[in-house]
Amino acid sequence: MPTPDSDPAILAQNLSRIYTMGETRVVGIAGIELEVTAGELVVLKGNSGSGKSTLLSLIAGLDRATAGTLYVAGYDMGSADGAELTRFRREVVGMVFQAFNLLPTLSVEENVCLPALLAGGNGRDIRKRALELLDWLDLEHRRQHVPAQLSGGEMQRTAIARALINDPAVILADEPTGNLDSRNGQIVMELLAELNRRWACTVIIATHSILADPFATRTICLKDGSIKS
Amino acid sequence: MVLGIALGAAVFTSVRLSIHASLDAFSRSMDLIAGHTDRSLIKPGGRLPETLVAELLRNPAVAGASPVLMAYVHMGGQRANPFLLIGFDPLLDRSFRNWRPAPGSPNDNKMWAELMREPFTLALGAQLAAKHRVTPGDTVILGHSRQQAPFRCVGILDAEGIGMVEGGRIGVTDIATFQEFTGNFGQVDRIDLRMAVGAGDGSDETLQAELPEGVVLARPEEERESGMQMIRAYQLNLSILSFVSLFVGMFLVYSLIALNAANRRSELAILHANGASARQLFLLFLLEGAMLGVGGWLLSVPVGSVIVRYMIQGVSETISTLFVRVHVDRLTLSGWEIALSFAVTLAISLAAAAQPAHAAMKISPKEVMAENPEIERTQSAAGRLGAMGLVAVALVFPLAAIPGPPGLPLPGYLATFLLFTGFSLLSPWCLQLMGRRLANPLRRIGGEPAFLAGRYLSTSGMRTAISVGALITASALFCALVVMIHSFRNTVELWAHQTVSGDVFVTPKMAAINQYRDPIPFDLMQAIQQLDAPADLLPYHRIYLRHRDVMFQFETVDLESFRKHGGFLWVKGEPESAAPAFNRGEGVLVSEVFANLTGLEMGNTFRTRIGEQALNLTVLGIVRDYRTRGGVVFYALAPFNAMFGNPEWGGVRLHLDRSVRDPDRALTALVSDLVALSDGRLDITSGRHLRRAILRIFDETFAVTSILLLIALAVAALGIASTLSVLVLEHRRQFNTMIAVGASRGQIRRLVFWEAMLMVTAGEGAGVLCGFVLSYLLIFVINAQSFGWTFQYRVDWGAVGLSVPLIIGAALFSALPATRLIFRIPPAVLLRER
Repeated sequence: MPTPDSDPAILAQNLSRIYTMGETRVVGIAGIELEVTAGELVVLKGNSGSGKSTLLSLIAGLDRATAGTLYVAGYDMGSADGAELTRFRREVVGMVFQAFNLLPTLSVEENVCLPALLAGGNGRDIRKRALELLDWLDLEHRRQHVPAQLSGGEMQRTAIARALINDPAVILADEPTGNLDSRNGQIVMELLAELNRRWACTVIIATHSILADPFATRTICLKDGSIKS
Repeated sequence: MVLGIALGAAVFTSVRLSIHASLDAFSRSMDLIAGHTDRSLIKPGGRLPETLVAELLRNPAVAGASPVLMAYVHMGGQRANPFLLIGFDPLLDRSFRNWRPAPGSPNDNKMWAELMREPFTLALGAQLAAKHRVTPGDTVILGHSRQQAPFRCVGILDAEGIGMVEGGRIGVTDIATFQEFTGNFGQVDRIDLRMAVGAGDGSDETLQAELPEGVVLARPEEERESGMQMIRAYQLNLSILSFVSLFVGMFLVYSLIALNAANRRSELAILHANGASARQLFLLFLLEGAMLGVGGWLLSVPVGSVIVRYMIQGVSETISTLFVRVHVDRLTLSGWEIALSFAVTLAISLAAAAQPAHAAMKISPKEVMAENPEIERTQSAAGRLGAMGLVAVALVFPLAAIPGPPGLPLPGYLATFLLFTGFSLLSPWCLQLMGRRLANPLRRIGGEPAFLAGRYLSTSGMRTAISVGALITASALFCALVVMIHSFRNTVELWAHQTVSGDVFVTPKMAAINQYRDPIPFDLMQAIQQLDAPADLLPYHRIYLRHRDVMFQFETVDLESFRKHGGFLWVKGEPESAAPAFNRGEGVLVSEVFANLTGLEMGNTFRTRIGEQALNLTVLGIVRDYRTRGGVVFYALAPFNAMFGNPEWGGVRLHLDRSVRDPDRALTALVSDLVALSDGRLDITSGRHLRRAILRIFDETFAVTSILLLIALAVAALGIASTLSVLVLEHRRQFNTMIAVGASRGQIRRLVFWEAMLMVTAGEGAGVLCGFVLSYLLIFVINAQSFGWTFQYRVDWGAVGLSVPLIIGAALFSALPATRLIFRIPPAVLLRER
């Protein structure tokens, strides 16, 4: 449930996620303290297993913390129930994945429209908005194609359009250039930066790549589940 | 899953064991009765003079001759189960059949001497004696249509030779006693012969030429073969039906292996990348299939041991009612049957595992690196398979029209196989079409989940198509059998009311089981004629004859009187045009069964011999009749009586006058009068009771079929559940992506339910369509080729409709475990997997 005062876009206090596998405990993140102001472009850096994706999953409402508190756009992620988390994902965040995760049976346009349709929006309005996004992302000519017919860059741009269809306040990108060549990687990073600049979206990018560095308002380094700098 | 396979294997094996037990029991009894007989003399439609024995013994080609009489009689009351009483000459028969007294009985010579010396003595089989608690020296009352008489038991037969005929439910007596008891003085049913050593091939022709007119020389195995022939079609049909459960079980193995392959796709890619050969991966899944088969088969042993107990009773009762009398006293578990059951289960499991194993073999090691596994491209394959399916379906009717050997519906079964193959091949294309065409309309009904389900269906590939194919098979069988059984029952009901018309049926005691060999005793016939009752009497004769290999009933009827109260259900011919020639005795009406089994058509000449009289008669019409034993030939009563000078009645139907004010009361009074005069020598059945009994037998006959059908449906529902699980596993990443972009868990559940619904609708819809075609094949091809009869086509929409909620309910229920699979792993973990 969102709190009335939602000044910081993201507020994490002593946030931990510990995975338990039998008797083994694996630390995803531990004791994270983080405050992100709306309109920031934050780059999360760190090696594999440092906790970047775990932190993104918690911010996206796909996973729950085992300790600490997390507020995203005023939503208390610790106490939100399933329905509230679904509404949160529809209204607050848009996600971009390394593996694109487009639905292979749907066309580009249908993939883009999907989150809004799932949220119960008006079909005609949604299609109009999708075409605007596709036009902006130079994908209008590909709208009837299925993902298998697209290049990696086109797939990731489609994923970005899908993330934007519900006008989210926060964009979360998990290694968005991991599967792209440097030219397409550069294009994707510029798009994310433009989102941040043009629509004042809060953008959190988890990446190994240096491509995001020039656009970052803040860079956070994670190591073994904790913020190092 | 293993239970499903076990169920299929258990049903298959139980049905085979039950049928074989009945066949063995029948065959064993026939062999024991035949003993060392080389040839038998019989007189179709009559009995042989006993004096012929002496003439035969003088013939150098004959080493021995033994006259035999047989009849079913009852002991200890009217309602007791009848048993077979054999009468022969103990001396002449000594070299023909094995027999000896059981330990505790008087010694061999004394017992047989006593049978010959003392009238009305008998020896009983051990089972029968034990059942009635009879010991040597006891007196029992035996009943026959001629009389009831006391017999003294002089011994118990040991459990070998004749003592084991009909599982020991048998009695033997001296021929003179038998003749006196049944009133057949100087006559015998047959004379068994042992041919002399050195009697050449031509001895049969020589002997036949010397025999009196109407006496036929037959081989003892002919009767057994005739009986076996009758059961064979039933055996084949039931075996194939039982195989369906196993066949549907094959889809379960397929689904489970496919599920494993889908679940372990990345593991397989890793194995492949680390040096496992494609062949090794193939063998891995093939072995998994084999293990499922072996596990299922092992579990089928206890499951089957329970099923077989019920099955053996149902099957043997059906065979006894419809074909030949059998007493199953033991169940033989042959090594061959065990090996066959194991081999078929294993082969089916391996065949089912082959396709997913082949698919696993094709998984590229590159998938270790790949982010998105390739989507199965089925579009062109579906079109190609669909075209092949259409060709297969188009060939069904031309193939079904090919005439097959009698009793072996090969063209019918091949057409059925082609039908199932055709529909299964059409299923990928149908699914694709449904998915494409229905996705958008579905969105309006069920929102995004329904739309997405439609889309998934269109691209879900061959695995879904195969599971839908299994459902098509099961629901088509369900629909077809429902239509067939309903049509059959409807026609039999109509036949029973029209052709088996009559208010009271009077026959000699145990007439049917004794093949109407003894007519109604003359004194009783006169008493019935003198009854002061407001009823028409329709007497008839019924004679069991053989036309080539077909055993049939020759029945006389007064057509004009019969038509006043009922009538035939005509398949070919017209009652008005056939009646004049029929009444003049110039032609016959034949039942559809007889016509189909013998190939006789309207206008053909029917030839037979009754006693000394040869008959050549035109076929004037073909009518429906659902008695077995090769069908019926109807001939006019008056010309028959004139020809044979035979005023005796095989039986008589009584029709109450329509003018009777209180028919129920008049009927009760009529039955009471008949019972009073019958002296326990007649079977008196009210028409209502007889018709109810016919329908009860019908329902009991199809009870086994219905159970097999339900098992096949249950196995098919399990198949849908496992297919859904495979689909969910395959789409798990996509479902979690949907959750990440805003889908609720409820929407994902609805998506899976819609997917299940569409699969089931496709399977059920195509299944019902296929079922209607199959029902036509069953009624007009397979039944005609198996048993010679067809029925009026009637659809029981209620029962067909019942399968829809039944199957849809089962499918939706089966979707529940599939939805749980989606949420087992948190979306974050799944989406992080590269």
